[in-house]
Amino acid sequence: MIAWLSAVAAVTVQLVVMVAAAPLVVGLARQSRAWVEGRAGAGVLQPWRDLRKLLLKEPVQAEGTRLQVAAPVVLLATSLMVCAQVPLVGTVSLPGLPGDLFVVVSVLLVGTVALAVLGLDSGTAFGGMGSSRHMTIAALVEPTVLVAVFAVSIPAGSSALSQIMNERLAAPSTIASPASLMAVVALGIAVLAETGRLPVDNPATHLELTMVHEAMVLESSGRDLAWVELGSWLRLAALVGLVGNLLVPWGQATTASPGALLVGILTLLAKLALSAVVLGAAEVFLAKVRLFRVPELLAGSFALAFLAVTTSYLVT
Amino acid sequence: MPATTYAQLVGTAAGVLLLSAVLVVWRRSLIAAVRLLALQGVALAVLVAVMALHAGEGALLLVAVLVLVLKAVVLPGAVRRAMQLAAGEREEAPLLNPTAALLACVALAGLAYVVSAPLVEIGDDPALRVVPVGVSLVLIGLLTIASRRRAMSQLIGFVMMDNGIATVALLTAGGVPLVVELGVSLDVLLVVLILAVLTTRMRSVFGDTDLDELRELREE
Amino acid sequence: MTAVDLGLRLHLALAAAGVLVALAAAPERRARWAGSLAATAAAAGLVTGLAAMAGTEGRLTLSTALPLAPLTLAPDRLGGLFMAIAGGVGLLAALFGIGYAHGPSSSATSWAAFVAFLPSVQLVPAAADVVSFLLVWEAMAITSTVLLLADHEHRPQVLSATRWYAVMTHLGFLALLAGFAVLVAESGGTTLDELARAVESHRQQGGRYHGALALLTIGFAAKAGLVPLHVWLPRAHPEAPSHVSAVMSGAMAGTGIYGLVLIAVRLMPEPPQWWALALVALGIASALYGILQASVATDVKRLLGYSTTENSGLMAIALGLAVLLRADGETGPADVALVACLMLAVSHAAFKTTLFLGAGSVVHATGERDLDRLGGLLPRMPWTATAFALGGLGAAALPVTAGFVSEWVLLQAIIHGARGEGRVVAVVMPLALAAVALTAGLALLTMVKAVGVAFLARGRSEAVATAREAPAPMVTAMLAGAGVLVLLGVAAGPLAVAVAGTVDARGILATSTAGLHLAAVDAGLEPVRLTGGVLVLTALVAGPAILLERRRPRRRTTLPWGCGGVRTSPRMEYTATSYAEPLVRVFGDALRPTRDVAVTRTDRAWFVVREVRFHQQLEDVVEQALYRPLQAVLNRTAELARGVQNGSIHRYLTYSLAALIAVLAAVSR
Repeated sequence: MIAWLSAVAAVTVQLVVMVAAAPLVVGLARQSRAWVEGRAGAGVLQPWRDLRKLLLKEPVQAEGTRLQVAAPVVLLATSLMVCAQVPLVGTVSLPGLPGDLFVVVSVLLVGTVALAVLGLDSGTAFGGMGSSRHMTIAALVEPTVLVAVFAVSIPAGSSALSQIMNERLAAPSTIASPASLMAVVALGIAVLAETGRLPVDNPATHLELTMVHEAMVLESSGRDLAWVELGSWLRLAALVGLVGNLLVPWGQATTASPGALLVGILTLLAKLALSAVVLGAAEVFLAKVRLFRVPELLAGSFALAFLAVTTSYLVT
Repeated sequence: MPATTYAQLVGTAAGVLLLSAVLVVWRRSLIAAVRLLALQGVALAVLVAVMALHAGEGALLLVAVLVLVLKAVVLPGAVRRAMQLAAGEREEAPLLNPTAALLACVALAGLAYVVSAPLVEIGDDPALRVVPVGVSLVLIGLLTIASRRRAMSQLIGFVMMDNGIATVALLTAGGVPLVVELGVSLDVLLVVLILAVLTTRMRSVFGDTDLDELRELREE
Repeated sequence: MTAVDLGLRLHLALAAAGVLVALAAAPERRARWAGSLAATAAAAGLVTGLAAMAGTEGRLTLSTALPLAPLTLAPDRLGGLFMAIAGGVGLLAALFGIGYAHGPSSSATSWAAFVAFLPSVQLVPAAADVVSFLLVWEAMAITSTVLLLADHEHRPQVLSATRWYAVMTHLGFLALLAGFAVLVAESGGTTLDELARAVESHRQQGGRYHGALALLTIGFAAKAGLVPLHVWLPRAHPEAPSHVSAVMSGAMAGTGIYGLVLIAVRLMPEPPQWWALALVALGIASALYGILQASVATDVKRLLGYSTTENSGLMAIALGLAVLLRADGETGPADVALVACLMLAVSHAAFKTTLFLGAGSVVHATGERDLDRLGGLLPRMPWTATAFALGGLGAAALPVTAGFVSEWVLLQAIIHGARGEGRVVAVVMPLALAAVALTAGLALLTMVKAVGVAFLARGRSEAVATAREAPAPMVTAMLAGAGVLVLLGVAAGPLAVAVAGTVDARGILATSTAGLHLAAVDAGLEPVRLTGGVLVLTALVAGPAILLERRRPRRRTTLPWGCGGVRTSPRMEYTATSYAEPLVRVFGDALRPTRDVAVTRTDRAWFVVREVRFHQQLEDVVEQALYRPLQAVLNRTAELARGVQNGSIHRYLTYSLAALIAVLAAVSR
């Protein structure tokens, strides 16, 4: 019972930290981009201000739309579930609910579907367009994700995330192996595509014809939009945090003791902040590729993931 | 050198070899491809050096230095020079689009892994386990030669094939006799130089280095 | 007398009564009576199958006047599983049919054929000897052909679909007949057990064994709809009445898979490596090709038909991997892969039945199968939309459905299978994983497209405006199918354990919360807790949302904003065709679309465009490349053969004379 309670407490702490940090990750990425470009920027807290503003606004809903209320809630709930399952603050998982990577991917996909359905539901040309592109990218990313998961899971002999992390903590040499590096790079590209960052989608675009994510949420407003935005930011933060933890697993809490959790929170925030700065600064130098060049990028990342699997056979 | 470090270093060098080959297929820019080729040469030299240190053979270390000079400096340098004559081109329209080429690379790597089983099993040196990488390099090099239009790209594929052959030879024979290795590499250098001259000639005649143009030389 | 004994007799008796009633009853009562009897018979079959699955033995022996061994129906545990699948599908389809069948598909012939079709599908897995197997198999083919023909007077494409179906089915039947004939000749007996014993002792004698294996595989692959033998599937499924399509896809394609599993575990255990590799290759080709065609299809039933090819492909991959792994000595992952194959069969039956019935309900209400002309059905047909969406979740392998659980089991088998020393296995595993992953991704897109375009936004044609929710029996059948799908997904553990028992797979355990624990590969899945977690988190989000809804009610407007508040007409919405357009581009080389853009300009100035017409046609590439040339050759041969008969009675008599002389000459020697 004590173990159960402490595990629930650890996961709750992780959820709270992620909800608090996800908007800051986005804010920091935007701000660092602004710094590199020599602009003043809106400040790291701007996403939080946006959220507050959206929550206080009156939503406007067009006639004939049915899922503008439900789909954002589903998206946010799945994002939270992902945050609860992925080892971020620590590798402590809910008892009897191991954070299996395949399950995490499926839960993420439920969110992806919710967003795509939201776009289709709006009944406008832009919504359908965004939804169609979003699903095409999601479908093509899938092989990279699963094969990279496969490669990452080979040393641990399991697809359970906590076991993978523990294995990496126990044998740091596996992290620097070429197989693991290729797999993490492939996973990184997949994460960029899945969360709609450059070079696949431009999150700051104002040109409807190039939009993917933004086109789907054009009809959302007020709190509906707030849920969608928070859900998307949580996805980004959780996945970036996961990639960060795969590369630098140290600092994660392996027990639910307050001290370990505190260390876990601090290192997680440091990793997230560093990733956000790198992401924002790197995006200055990247251009969005044409939609029909995206398969090329994804095929490349798939090749990386596949070679990660084969090279892991070579070096044991 | 401890056995695990040895295995890890060999693995890393092999990973870089394979990765650079795939990146050559991925990128369209020829300049980037030449840089990757140099990286491949370095990885090959490191592989040889690691083997030399592990076996404690001075002669093999000499081979490593030679490999470094030839494959990381001279050959890429020659290719780059040929390219400067041809004025910075890109592989615009390869016969196989990059997506398909990458997937073909994946298939070839898998194939190499399956067919090189007999070579891997000739000993229990961890270095032997990376023989499939050499075979993959040969196959991917051949794929590049077959699927690209520009003469420069084919040159790059050719050098990649040579790297692959050298890798397999070094790993299985524990270092080819120095003379043979030198001879082969010099042959390749010669080919590169000839192709470089040919490219320049082609360019001055056709204003392009698309090899499909060579069809016009056929007698009707 | 055991439950299975009783069940088999009851099943046949009820079915026979159903056929008689269908032929004799007055038209206005026919659907209700025959449908109820068919449903009861299917339920009897379902219970019998479940009993056989649990290990109850029982048999029904029918003596015939023919000089053959008596026909024996005696389902073993594996047979029981597929009998139960067919029974469940049949039950829902019959129930649906009561409300659905109208026009030509409610004629006496159609109902009689339907009532006879159900038991034939269910009894294929029950057959214990070759003769009864082939008899029931053929009965299944003939009754389904009759059903397919139901509407041939109104729609010319029905005839062509039936022709394809009949030819492919019978070619498959011939392959099976030949394959079994070889085995029977080798063993001297006709029961499946005798065949298996003979195969055991004759294993080393190569040639014939491999030949029989190849022939049987072709026969079963054609029924399962694997590429390149799938061509009948996307034609037959759209043209058949929807409840028949549901049985054809959910249960009849399953009999093909049953045949393949039968080969691998009972008839010829430890098949050679080439067979396993061929199966994996066929599976990968089918899964990818099937889902690619499904993702670009606009006819909702054609889409579902191709999705059947995809799912059969996944099952073939799982089965092939199981055989490969077992040959490599990896019994743990091999068992998991085998269980994955069977679980895929169960979940496919559940979601495909739901989806076909849902599609049937849409056709019933609107008369449209073309997604490009549907839309906005959610408020008009909420129950159909719910069932169809749940079915879509299953087909896209999302939690919490049986589709998700079975795909998860397959993925676990793959990642744990690659640890052995076998180099072939080591390369096949990541390739299979990539294929399964791409299939899953495209399935997701396909289902979002089908559900989203058909039920969301606004209607794209007049037909949608008058749509009404289906009558009660249809809604019940659809929702029951969706319910089973979710239930099996939540109770993953018991499902896996029950399925594992039929093939003696070890190391498949259920946890106390109906979760699944694969002890063989040390992996676990807890759908109940996963669902619970998601529900708690949803409540956490929904709470504030509801609170805010009270405080600040939303404002409704008549206009979607659409980047400028234009009053967009439904014709400006994205259609199914446009939804799949990026995919058509990405996979242009594999799909080879023919596109035609016609631009009409005004008379005043050439640069003012009055109208742009876009026409895109996607044909089955395999059919074009493989079957058209074959057909051309056949047609030419047939032209030549025509010369033999010219209608003159004298010529026919001469043929008879010649034949008589030939026979006499042969006999006298």
